[in-house]
Amino acid sequence: MAETAAVMEQRKPKKSSLAKRNTERFLRNKLAVMGLLIVLFVVVLCLIAPLLTDYDPAKISLSERIQAPSSTHLFGTDKIGRDVFARVLYGGRMSILIGLSGAIGGMILGVIIGSFCGLYGGWLDSFFVKVAELVSSIPQLLLVLVLVAIVGQSMRNLIFVFIFTGWIATFRLVRGRFFSLREESFVEASRAFGISNVSIAFRHILPNCLGPVVVQLTLNTAGFILQEAALSFIGLGVPSSVPTWGNIMDAAKEIMVISNYPWLWVFPGVAIALFVLGVNFFGDGLRDVFDPNQM
Amino acid sequence: MSEQLNENILTLKGLKVQFRVGRRLVKAVNGVDLNVRRGKTLGLVGESGCGKSVTAHAIMRLLPKAGFIPEGEVTYYSNEGTVDILKHNPKGKTLRDLRGRQISMIFQDPLASLNPVYRIGDQIVENIRQHNRVPKEAAMKRTVEMLKQLSIPQAEKRVLDYPHQFSGGMKQRVMIAMGLINDPELLIADEPTTALDVTIQAQILELMQDLQKKLGFTIIIITHNMGIVADMADDIAVMYMGKIVEFGSKREIFLNPAHPYTKALLKSVPVLGSGSNSRLEPIRGNTPDPSEMPEGCTFAPRCDFAMDICKTDPPNFDVGGGHMSRCWLCKGGNGQ
Amino acid sequence: MLKYFFQRMLLLIPMVIVISLLAFIGLELTPGDPLTAMLSPDQMSSMTTEELDAMRESLGLNDPMLIRYGRWVINLLKGDLGISVMSGSPIKDIIKNLLPATIILTMVALVVSTLIGLILGIFAAIKQNSIVDYLSSVLGVLGISIPQFFIGILAILFFAVRLQWFPAQGRTDIGLNFWQSLKYLVLPSFSLGITLTAALMRHTRNSMLDVLNKDYVKTARAKGLPEWKVYTFHVFRNAMMPISVMILLRLPMLIGGAVVIEQVFGYAGIGNRLLTAINASDYQLVLIIILLLSIVALFASVLIDLFTAVLDPRVRLGSSKNQGGA
Repeated sequence: MAETAAVMEQRKPKKSSLAKRNTERFLRNKLAVMGLLIVLFVVVLCLIAPLLTDYDPAKISLSERIQAPSSTHLFGTDKIGRDVFARVLYGGRMSILIGLSGAIGGMILGVIIGSFCGLYGGWLDSFFVKVAELVSSIPQLLLVLVLVAIVGQSMRNLIFVFIFTGWIATFRLVRGRFFSLREESFVEASRAFGISNVSIAFRHILPNCLGPVVVQLTLNTAGFILQEAALSFIGLGVPSSVPTWGNIMDAAKEIMVISNYPWLWVFPGVAIALFVLGVNFFGDGLRDVFDPNQM
Repeated sequence: MSEQLNENILTLKGLKVQFRVGRRLVKAVNGVDLNVRRGKTLGLVGESGCGKSVTAHAIMRLLPKAGFIPEGEVTYYSNEGTVDILKHNPKGKTLRDLRGRQISMIFQDPLASLNPVYRIGDQIVENIRQHNRVPKEAAMKRTVEMLKQLSIPQAEKRVLDYPHQFSGGMKQRVMIAMGLINDPELLIADEPTTALDVTIQAQILELMQDLQKKLGFTIIIITHNMGIVADMADDIAVMYMGKIVEFGSKREIFLNPAHPYTKALLKSVPVLGSGSNSRLEPIRGNTPDPSEMPEGCTFAPRCDFAMDICKTDPPNFDVGGGHMSRCWLCKGGNGQ
Repeated sequence: MLKYFFQRMLLLIPMVIVISLLAFIGLELTPGDPLTAMLSPDQMSSMTTEELDAMRESLGLNDPMLIRYGRWVINLLKGDLGISVMSGSPIKDIIKNLLPATIILTMVALVVSTLIGLILGIFAAIKQNSIVDYLSSVLGVLGISIPQFFIGILAILFFAVRLQWFPAQGRTDIGLNFWQSLKYLVLPSFSLGITLTAALMRHTRNSMLDVLNKDYVKTARAKGLPEWKVYTFHVFRNAMMPISVMILLRLPMLIGGAVVIEQVFGYAGIGNRLLTAINASDYQLVLIIILLLSIVALFASVLIDLFTAVLDPRVRLGSSKNQGGA
């Protein structure tokens, strides 16, 4: 009960002592704070891209092909003269958007299915458990690959595919929490007072899942950004007309590019690694705050 | 046991144990003096967090990483010689040779104390073979015999089972068998029945007493339950906030308690046949945070008889016949 | 133990059936037709609709889906995997040539990264809160954050192009020249395994620390066991159980990653072929490769599961069996 109340408190604008203590615990974790700063830094850079560069990421300039980094082109230019700096910034928008919306969509789907199964159980529950087991036993990249091949290559489709494969961890988490909390006395007490299942779910059980679900969200965001990059790199992700971090790195399939034009792939590669690193540090820190026993 | 051996099997002098928790220093045990009489049972009682379990772990030198012993003396008088326990490396040969053979310890939660991945027979055999050069078959035979002594049915078969196939009470019997298998001189039982059903508690305690009569080892039983010490103990040490506040024979402690804390403790729990009044009274207030110890007598803030002098630390007063109490009320001899 | 093994194997059958059916249905829905891939646009336009239909009919492409699925399964069980429409060669041969290479790559990555990850994790746990521990935790997050293919590219640049220690691209059959083939394996398996190494290192450390706090470790010390015995017999074996579960969860990722890594290193394996097959909408080949890789993943997971059962009697015997009262 105390825990539920505490988590509920956290959502109030007025800072309760627990929220304050959690914030303090988070801030004490230097790596987590660093992670949050990295994430914010990259996101802000991508968002204010028009202020940072005048180049259009899609503008082809054959006279400026494959130029090394210089003061005019900070990260150099690619094979058809596009500015790599602009492409990394605008590509970041897309990569982050895809990763984040895939993860958020998967989270919502997972929470809905998870609470449904947790509340009602029965054959529907065993059905979704089986589906989850099946989907997670197939190599995820292969699954995404096949799905992309089926629904066609587009950014929207890729996000849908991520949602379709990304709900499972959240689903298991929420469902498990429902099953364990269902027997707790405060939930039984609520039930005895005739409070409906749905309101029990929303008022008592879901707030209890909040922490782990958010941690899972960071994990999925990091995972999807890496997957998008890998898929786009092998040419089965987002169509190459849309710049994403993975699409920019597409060029590095030739040894010539790898050895002679490193600016074509180092910058987007570092951008992916940096952002995902930030997300992972941040997620680790959140997990420490929500569940200090786990670390 | 020869006659010239020290009457005590174990003595503690000014034992202190502290823990580093983040930047704070928690003083868990604050200068404990204790004599454990050979062949007898000592009951170490107190509320949870008073340091009784930490004291036991310090004797075994099995403190967690954050714990350390800044000062004190723990001397073990065995028939093989005297060992100054704190002078040795806790992971070194001398103490390892002592542990499991001369001094055994069983813990509160039998479920957690047994390794889930090994057969219980093998876990006991491991203890035999660590200290004796015997073939595996012989060790297994002894194990079966010992389990029979602890009334485990079908012991020959059960040695092949894994811990999860045993009930809680049976697991604790296995733990006791493991502790006694090398015929130790001292058995430290840290809340051995707290995790068990009440009916099973009595069986386990009775078994321990029977075996003590047969094998003649010494027991230190650590508990918060006055009923258990009333049943088991010869001597009782009452611990509060890392100190022994009262020590005496069972008779003295129950019939003539000198320290207000002991009195409060006796009033707060029902003890069958102790003749105390039937009304139970909880102890006022909470135990203070061990990192913010009050000045002087640590019980003073909760004590009904607190006086000005309680701001200074009371020494140990002899109430008579080895009955000691750390309370200014006992200054003039008898407590009352 | 044998019974447990067969139980686990039996559970695989419905999984394999469902996966094959799903893959079949899924690829049915893909745009493109084997005919369009088989014939050049010129040939297509020179043929009449009737001719094309006749050709579809003869290839059995016009039958109901379930019949085609059934026919395909029966052929599969007979060992006839069909013909790759793209290359015209039997799929059986393609698989025979390429699947072992992918399995070798994945196995090497799995074994090497498991060993390294375990050792580093144990070390970090023993030296908890030291600089080594701190550094390894930073490296651990770094390892799971860098895209594998980026590591692969960097490895090519440094170890193949600059230092010329290893070849950048390609593969030699292990039967042809063992040492040569090993040289080709080093960089791809390193790039493929690094994520698993990092993840395992983090997990091993946490799992070890978790077990070190357990009462049975205290019991082991109370028996007077020397530290090396405490660690080997009581800490490590128990810490391994969640770790093997984690390897199990990560295994499909490793196989998926192999597809990408093969592309980076031009490593002629099944993953590389899968991508060409997808681009050429060579259904039959894609279908079989996906099915095979999924089955490989499932089999590997059963093996790891068995390993867990060997470690943990509670899994092997079922934990509800509680005999004898107190």
